[in-house]
Amino acid sequence: MRNCFKTFITILLISAFLGLSACQPLAASTNTGKKTIVVTYSILGSIVKELVGDQANVIVSMPNGQDPHEWEPSVRDIETLTHADLIVQNGLGLEGGMEKALAQAQAAGVKFFTASDYITIRTVGAGEGIPSGDPDQSIGAQDPHLWTDPVAMKQIVDALAQTMKSELGLDVSANATTLDSQLDTLNQDIINEVATLPTGERKLVTGHESLGYFAQRYGFKLVGAIIPSLNTQAEASAEDMSALAKLIKDNQVKAIFTELGTPANVSQSIGTETGVKVIEITTHALPANGDYFDFMHNLAQTIVDGLK
Amino acid sequence: MSILIQPFLANSFLLRALIAGMLVSISCGVVGTFIVLRGLAFIGDALAHGVLPGIAVAILLGVPGIVGAAVSAVVMIGGISFITNKSRLSSDTAIGLLFVGMLALGVVIVSRSTTFSGDLVRILFGEILGINTQSIILQAVATVVIITITIVGARPFLLLCFSPEQAQVSGFSARFYHNLMLAMIALAVIISFQTVGTMLVFGMLLAPAGAAALLAKRMKTMMIYASLIGMVSVYSGLLISYYFNLAAGSAIVLVAVVIFFAVMLIKNLQAASLRKGALSHD
Repeated sequence: MRNCFKTFITILLISAFLGLSACQPLAASTNTGKKTIVVTYSILGSIVKELVGDQANVIVSMPNGQDPHEWEPSVRDIETLTHADLIVQNGLGLEGGMEKALAQAQAAGVKFFTASDYITIRTVGAGEGIPSGDPDQSIGAQDPHLWTDPVAMKQIVDALAQTMKSELGLDVSANATTLDSQLDTLNQDIINEVATLPTGERKLVTGHESLGYFAQRYGFKLVGAIIPSLNTQAEASAEDMSALAKLIKDNQVKAIFTELGTPANVSQSIGTETGVKVIEITTHALPANGDYFDFMHNLAQTIVDGLK
Repeated sequence: MSILIQPFLANSFLLRALIAGMLVSISCGVVGTFIVLRGLAFIGDALAHGVLPGIAVAILLGVPGIVGAAVSAVVMIGGISFITNKSRLSSDTAIGLLFVGMLALGVVIVSRSTTFSGDLVRILFGEILGINTQSIILQAVATVVIITITIVGARPFLLLCFSPEQAQVSGFSARFYHNLMLAMIALAVIISFQTVGTMLVFGMLLAPAGAAALLAKRMKTMMIYASLIGMVSVYSGLLISYYFNLAAGSAIVLVAVVIFFAVMLIKNLQAASLRKGALSHD
């Protein structure tokens, strides 16, 4: 009996070993000579894809729709990052869950392009309606949500085109020029859209402070945020909630905008208490067609329509 | 064969994870054997979770997590000693109190800060894929310290594990060596939380040593078996997490636990077949 078992276990182990060996070895990196650019999140990724076109492989780390503040990469994702020719990241702590992975890529000597290096960084201002005394939300904290401003994206496109040339030897100037003019048009479109909204109605209450750059560019006032922080990892407290409700009433805000990561029950209860509309907007994910311009048009439209 | 090695060769971060994991296996194998032999699982678990507030405060203050963990561990061991010495309460109760108290404190601290929730998950489950060279050096040092203390104190530890009464008679302070054991558990937990996290380090302490205890009778052999089983778990766990896209730290601990149950099963079946064999020889 004992021998039976030993045999059985041995056969089991051997077959497991054979099974493993039968697995196809990993596909070697497609050495077509094309460079690999890895962008951390989808919105920036779509711009990079348009800029680069066919000249390089562009891989976006996070699936579209995932929360960029929270998403953590798997082993394979880290492998992709550490073998990239260039990593394009947002900076300012947006990619919270990727910190260690990006550090590994840095240790592996991968070149980095940090988008926030090339724009005028917005900081939390006084009176932006952040009710809590939370030190992390103190005046002066840097806002990473730069993609809601087309003009900032233009600056990034220009800087990135230069980096492509100097670091990867790719000439994307033609695409850069096209993108620039498209972003100019987008900016003007949004200016026109917002012009249809009376100045007095341009007040924003969002899920977390994600529309700072948009507000700055198009003349909106940031009244408050349901999660009083620059990222979705924080939580709302009772004290913050009542302060926010008061702010909404005092400022006569017409609608509050909830987004990815906003706790639904909290926004509902604020809506009920203050009588304002609760509208869902998408600030951290591209629409199904993956187009940045559609994303911005939708965003502007939803905000303007919601506040009319 | 190459599929078993290739991922480590192609990715230095995975290789670092492997090295760190190997070191953790040795520390946890040695210390885990003490835990299993001396029945210290409860306090091991308490320490593994009690370091949470220390780590949380350390991160808030911008100090390395390890420092916070060390402070927590000291508070915990001190608290347990205090309660057992100054009252009639058993160590069970003392451990339970400190355990739940420290854990609750940790959660309160974390909930007070608005920057924390993602970090909490990382503290609990570790980030073995984020290991850098500095961590490896720290781990190597801690492992060497643990091995050295074990070798130097081998006799007293041996007596403490197998015949505590004789330990006292032989002139060793049982209390001192008991506390030394606790300190080593604390050290193993403090160093290992970076790799597998505070939640799972306990698994790395118990599962390999538990399996080893089923296979060996002598303390030294147990420690070697435990370390080896731990190393196999780390290696397999990392490979599995690579090929099947699973969380690395948890994969490692799962493998360790599966190995434990496999050993237990085989041992039971062997014993059953032995009994049958004995019966049939009438």
